[in-house]
Amino acid sequence: MIVSLKDSLKLIGIIIVIFCAAFVCTFFLNFYIDAKAIRDFINDAETLVLYKAQIATATFTSAISGGFLAVIAIIMLVFYIKLYIDKNLNKLGVLKAMGYSNLKIASRFLVFGFSVFLGAALGFGMGFAIMPIIYEGMSIDGLPEITINFHFWLFIVLVIVPTVLFAVFAFCYALLSLKIPVCQMLKGRAEKLRKYVKKQDKERSFLCEMCYKTIVSKKSIAFFIAFACFCFSAMVQMSVSMLDLSSELMGGIILGIGIVLAVTTIFMAVTTLMNGNLKNIAMMKAFGYTNFEIALSILGGYHIFALIGFALGTVYQYGILSIMINFVFKDVESVPDYSFDIAVFFITLAVFIVFYECMMLFYFSKISKVNVKSVMIEN
Amino acid sequence: MIIAKSVCKSYKNGAVNVLKSISLNVSDGEFVVIVGASGSGKSTLMNVLSGLEIADSGNIFYNSVNLTDMTDKQLTEFRRKKVGFVFQQYYLLSNLSVDKNVRLGADLIGNKNYRIIIEKVGLSDKIKSRPSELSGGEQQRVCIARALAKNPEILFLDEPTGALDEDTGRSVLDYIIKLQREKKFTMIMVTHNLNIADTADTVIKMNSGNIVGTYKNQIPKSAYEIGW
Repeated sequence: MIVSLKDSLKLIGIIIVIFCAAFVCTFFLNFYIDAKAIRDFINDAETLVLYKAQIATATFTSAISGGFLAVIAIIMLVFYIKLYIDKNLNKLGVLKAMGYSNLKIASRFLVFGFSVFLGAALGFGMGFAIMPIIYEGMSIDGLPEITINFHFWLFIVLVIVPTVLFAVFAFCYALLSLKIPVCQMLKGRAEKLRKYVKKQDKERSFLCEMCYKTIVSKKSIAFFIAFACFCFSAMVQMSVSMLDLSSELMGGIILGIGIVLAVTTIFMAVTTLMNGNLKNIAMMKAFGYTNFEIALSILGGYHIFALIGFALGTVYQYGILSIMINFVFKDVESVPDYSFDIAVFFITLAVFIVFYECMMLFYFSKISKVNVKSVMIEN
Repeated sequence: MIIAKSVCKSYKNGAVNVLKSISLNVSDGEFVVIVGASGSGKSTLMNVLSGLEIADSGNIFYNSVNLTDMTDKQLTEFRRKKVGFVFQQYYLLSNLSVDKNVRLGADLIGNKNYRIIIEKVGLSDKIKSRPSELSGGEQQRVCIARALAKNPEILFLDEPTGALDEDTGRSVLDYIIKLQREKKFTMIMVTHNLNIADTADTVIKMNSGNIVGTYKNQIPKSAYEIGW
């Protein structure tokens, strides 16, 4: 049949996002649960403040990062299922024409839950593996040692529940998306024939129009690029700014997650963009447009979203750290003051520009390698 | 003038010889039809003549410039300045209007009067329509307008009527031939429809990667005079 386990493994973006979410939530929530158990042993008021701040950090970080990453994973899943259905519309149409019900076809999309399971299980395992280091880093002088315990219900909440929820979600979304008339599916047309409003066309050049329409017709790509740059900006700046407030290990984890998320998301988004535009690229090449002109019209328009994502990431990390210092740790005496670090901002911006342009250079080389004939044959 | 001398092209590391020492001459303003069965090598010949693909050996001269010596960048420049294409499957940009699809060609040479060509192919009332709103014949006419808007010296057409019904096919072919006679550009058309050969100045027959015959039509027929 059409959707297989192999397809669910291709959802590398979702696997990584879920991995990061499960990874962060596992050690923070586990710490939170284990730390709760020693609450009765704390009598000293100063230690109690510090203890409460640690508990609040664990809760806050789990909720913010876990929740945020879960939402992103859902958006990615929707995006991927839609893309999958659009790409395989003819085949799905044939199945429908042969008499397979929407329910039967959509039930195959349940396997997408496997990618969530894989990401969550790996994240949970990795979170557990580094837990001794995290516990050591978060230990407080004067407190009894917090021992690491395995909480089975946490495994259920962080691995099994997301797997089931995502699988059901994939099924429901596929069911909804498959409500396209069979004839339309066989013709390979996912969208209803739109009645285009005959507005006065703007007097843009072809390349400008191409750039504009590429963005408008693939808004989700713009979102993912902005999200990737948001992650890069927020997590790189946060990891450096946190060095005074937290351990180097924690800074390293945040930096790693930020870079992995940014690379994966940009890779996933731009690869999708390129695949969707192969025919257009081939046609422009046949007509004599240079690789630079093609790259500019297909990829160039997304620079603005990358910069918006970077700016939002900067604001986000400043907001989060300000909240942590001013609210969560407000009663803790030894916590240093926090202010926006201009130098870190500019260094991150410079690194970000190099990082982003290197990614674009990679895709520029892909455009150069597009073979006009093979694209024409495939279509 | 296009001169091809002993052009060879193979795929799969030489295992499949698609063009076997092809030589031909095409004069300026000539309408040449290349006919042959599927797999005879006619599309590959069109691709190497137009600079879409590079021949393995042999030479292709366009006004004494050898295409086989050109780099990829130079071939891009050659296609940009000299060549127009019309494909069987149209390959229109689905999210752009007719107007912008034609601008794809027009902008390459800064042609501001490209709307005259849209008018000429009879689509001035569809200028803001998307390709999905057009019939097959109309889409093919957009392709022709797109190719002509860059004012090419040579127009290559790969089975331009292959996906059209007889009435639409005749109408599109009639448009193309009339435009070629009027503008006097060189036109090389690839087709498996032997009847279309009667409309050309010169006919090249291909079989298994070889040219098996070349002849000239004394009085080329119109699109409505041929069988289909």
